[in-house]
Amino acid sequence: MQNKLSDTELIEQTLAGNQSAYTDLVKRHQRFVFTLAMRFAKGREDAEEIAQDCFVKAYRSLGLFKGESKFSTWLYSIVYTTAMTSLRKKRIETDSIDDETSYIQVASPQSGYENNVENKSRSFYINQAIQQLMPDDATIITLFYRGEQSLDEIGQALGIEANTVKVKLFRARQRLKEKLERNLKHEAKELI
Amino acid sequence: MNNIDQTLWNYIDGNCTTEEQLAVSLLIESDHTYRLKYQELLLLDKRFEEIELDEPPMAFTYNVIEAIRTEQSLIPLKSAFNKRIVLGIAAFFIFTLFGLLIFTITRLDWSLAGNLSVNIPVGLKVSIIKNYVNGPVLQGFLFFDTILALYLLDNYIRKKNFRNRINVSSK
Repeated sequence: MQNKLSDTELIEQTLAGNQSAYTDLVKRHQRFVFTLAMRFAKGREDAEEIAQDCFVKAYRSLGLFKGESKFSTWLYSIVYTTAMTSLRKKRIETDSIDDETSYIQVASPQSGYENNVENKSRSFYINQAIQQLMPDDATIITLFYRGEQSLDEIGQALGIEANTVKVKLFRARQRLKEKLERNLKHEAKELI
Repeated sequence: MNNIDQTLWNYIDGNCTTEEQLAVSLLIESDHTYRLKYQELLLLDKRFEEIELDEPPMAFTYNVIEAIRTEQSLIPLKSAFNKRIVLGIAAFFIFTLFGLLIFTITRLDWSLAGNLSVNIPVGLKVSIIKNYVNGPVLQGFLFFDTILALYLLDNYIRKKNFRNRINVSSK
């Protein structure tokens, strides 16, 4: 029954002292928050820490949420800030967007992929390519395609102008396409 | 090529004005290069929508709620007792006790061994003080001191436990 309630209603209930309403909010958004955290973190443990920290921060500041934007947009802005802080703490280089080296080391696409490429799902390769992108690019693509966020909302979450988001999204798509093509070589055309 | 891509992505995303949209539609229909590129990008757009979301660990929700509960359990004590007020009360009692001790020591007649007497100031009416300093008042005073001591001890142990828990979780 609780699952049918909107985010706003769940927030109201949480603020009224019903903690199980917040549990429902966490359950509803945890997959996406965790995915976003994975875009920045080195591994699942770090991502879990970031995602958990985000929900605790969101709970603490829930009273400050005015409802002027979607709850998800507000939550993603917390994820972005927390993840960036965590990155800074761990001194991971993020500002060089032209860096060609993979952000996350994945298995070489040559090793055995050519033979069984047809058996693998398309999404596997897309996710693999996404993981090779820089965190900013991967975040924008994830927010746009899976976060149900408009350019304006992404701008709000990342603290940048919608036009900048548009440019960044274009570049991120180009890079993702390049990664896919590089990883899959000849199979890319058939696969995508 | 980048310009074509950018124009087509804007068209696919629906970020064009009506005029631009019409112009791009015409280009796609008439220009073979545009048409091929459009089909390629449209397919890519569909594939990008297949990005899978990562699944957090099973205990994720539980861990979040536990973290919130742990934080909440510390908040009431912090909000109910202002540290400065507590320290002020402690300072008041320490100074009062210390003052009384000094006062008593200075008034002692050390020449009378075994027979201690306190020289009370002339203007001080002992009978009035005696009315106030009776058994229940002293008991109340001691009871309050005990409560204060227990509270400070409890606060200290809680902080120590919390620091230990943080150290364990960070390891």
